[in-house]
Amino acid sequence: MPQVKIIAKNFMDMVASLPAMKLDKLYDNAFICEAILRSLPPLAKKYVLQMLYIDVPVSAKSMQEWVLADGYSKHNVAIDRLIQLRLFTEAVDRKKETTYRLNPTFQINLQKHIIHGGVLPREPMPSNITVRLPSLEDLDAYAAEQWECFLLHLISSSTQGEKTTNFSSSLMKIFQRGLLSQRDKEPPKLTESGFQFLLMDTNAQLWYIIREYITNSEERGLDSADLISFMLELSFHVTGEAYNMNTLTDSQRNVIKDLADLGLVKLQQGRKESWFIPTKLATNLSISLSDTSSRKLGFVVVETNFRVYAYSTSKLHCEILRLFSRVEYQLPNLIVAAITKENLYNAFENGIMAEQIISFLQQNAHPRVAERVPSVPENVTDQIRLWESDMNRVEITPAHFYDEFPTREVFDAACDFAREYGGLLWEDSKTMRLVVKAEILMHMRDFLRREKQ
Amino acid sequence: MLVCLCNCTDDVSLLMVLLDTNPFFWSTSKSTSLSFSNFLSHVLAFLNSVLLLNQFNQVVVIATGFNTCDYVYDSSSSPTNQRAETLLRKFEEFVVKDEQLSKEDTVDGIGNSLLSGSLSMALCCILKSNSNDIQRVFRSGSLHPQPRILCLHGSPDGPGQYVAVMNAIFSAQRSMVPIDSCVLGVQHSAFLQQASYITGGVYLKPQQLDGLFQYLSTVFGTDLHSRRFLQLPKPVGVDFRASCFCHKNTIDMGYICSVCLSIFCKHHKKCSTCGSVFGQAQTNAPSTSNQKRKTPDT
Repeated sequence: MPQVKIIAKNFMDMVASLPAMKLDKLYDNAFICEAILRSLPPLAKKYVLQMLYIDVPVSAKSMQEWVLADGYSKHNVAIDRLIQLRLFTEAVDRKKETTYRLNPTFQINLQKHIIHGGVLPREPMPSNITVRLPSLEDLDAYAAEQWECFLLHLISSSTQGEKTTNFSSSLMKIFQRGLLSQRDKEPPKLTESGFQFLLMDTNAQLWYIIREYITNSEERGLDSADLISFMLELSFHVTGEAYNMNTLTDSQRNVIKDLADLGLVKLQQGRKESWFIPTKLATNLSISLSDTSSRKLGFVVVETNFRVYAYSTSKLHCEILRLFSRVEYQLPNLIVAAITKENLYNAFENGIMAEQIISFLQQNAHPRVAERVPSVPENVTDQIRLWESDMNRVEITPAHFYDEFPTREVFDAACDFAREYGGLLWEDSKTMRLVVKAEILMHMRDFLRREKQ
Repeated sequence: MLVCLCNCTDDVSLLMVLLDTNPFFWSTSKSTSLSFSNFLSHVLAFLNSVLLLNQFNQVVVIATGFNTCDYVYDSSSSPTNQRAETLLRKFEEFVVKDEQLSKEDTVDGIGNSLLSGSLSMALCCILKSNSNDIQRVFRSGSLHPQPRILCLHGSPDGPGQYVAVMNAIFSAQRSMVPIDSCVLGVQHSAFLQQASYITGGVYLKPQQLDGLFQYLSTVFGTDLHSRRFLQLPKPVGVDFRASCFCHKNTIDMGYICSVCLSIFCKHHKKCSTCGSVFGQAQTNAPSTSNQKRKTPDT
């Protein structure tokens, strides 16, 4: 499966790349400890739990005895991750054995959590002050609408959207960087990663935007570590409860306004006080994945005749469908499209991959067809894959061409040499000509020089 | 990218914890070195740690009393900040109810708690929480979140519950729910040994009950995904002895109905379960005496 370049796999990769000082400071906050623990691979979580009440360093050798033989690779991944996040400190003891121990601040915070149970970051406001709180469904709808509006705004680039967001155009530019490309005087075009971005699920999209937001925070005079800890704290609030704005610092209040534009929180104003209500988008922040049960209902039905029926009123869905199919007509609640060869070729040229299209169709399958196996007819998925492989008939490899070898021996030796390095692309022994991959050029050059001597 | 997503979700677990609250067991200092309040604090810390590991993790606690059993706590329906308070309050209510019921009976010895009842309740709860996915279970063989049952049991086995317990074990096996057992009493439990053996769970009798939390977090905190990679305690020996259907005695050797496989300690003319009439071969005097001679004196 091809790697999608534009997303860091999750938020924690970003946290792990923070400088050591900042990272250690983050662990003073109990919520960050919790969020980080939850982001770890299962085996790493297990090790943390196991070592929670062990105050002496544990040798790497005895830790290895915890795992079965076929778990070693997972074990190493887990340990690497723990060291990378500075949760484990590595040391070498007197007997020259590597030992690990848990980060003390982290350890104490988790011990507290285990004894006292979870606590909330701040108390929700009593219901007599906060009137007309939205219901959970309303809140979900609000979040979805806000996020969609933001996405439309993001891709349409020109400011034709009815509802303009409060993001400064410079910030918008930052988000668009990498997703849109603009040549002079031409309307901006979605780039390859822009297309991929649109096909990702909401959580992954959110991560991308949040990541861009945080990496550019320094320019706006905000500390990225503070921002990260605020975001993570936000994810531990209860969806649908109201929290007083006065409990926030000034800079946090500015941030929360931006987050309201993304649909992470809803702001409301009472007679005296104002408050924010976290939506599902915010409380899902600390998980880098969307749980299957929390996924929104699908809307797409694909038929074996390549017709696509999308029960949706959303403009964004229509735009997304347009990326790889021909929209035939639009009814108030239904978009009818057809997957055609031409449209798919266009999509492939724009860098969308067949697997992405298929997984989009599968993930958004209408509940009526989602139960079926497969949810998208096999002939359609196969055809999409076949059309993609049509595009890849010719593979381009940078290469170097050699001819005029002095003797056949040198030629044969050169062929063998290139074959050994796995870089031989083509040889013609009659005319003594040879094509090798560009990567092994340096080795080839050394080899031929040696041969000459 | 998609591959990564699937790998991350599969450590979500649904943990059913069955707590033995048999008052006769906990009040006898001979039977265990752990006091009930200490036991509860270990368990509470363990529940907190399971819920800490993943926010989709769900824990349901079922109290196994002497006369009854009941749901005491469900993490999906209680607020996170008063976990211990909610659990303890419900627990007290349960103990009072259990006591009221027991006044009618007289008990000699420690007695046994209602393991069969709480096992069945745990299975019902698991199947209910996955009721939409039942068909998928039988097709793909995995539930989401992955359920498992943990029995924290101290009282000795009640041979009278043999049939009910075995039925619960087999239905757990069929729905692929492992039963982990942690024995707190002095004696091994044949029921739980069989339960863990049949369902592929872990059976453990901790040596040092003071460090119960460490046992719980190290062994029983392991989610099903990680179990494939970790060294866990292996069964040393399993007591496969069965109870007879007629007198509920644990027996080494007995008579089995060839039609329905019911077990009896004495010869009967007719099977009490399925009603089939046994032929003459069994009434053959020499063979019975033969069997009696073979019986090892245990």
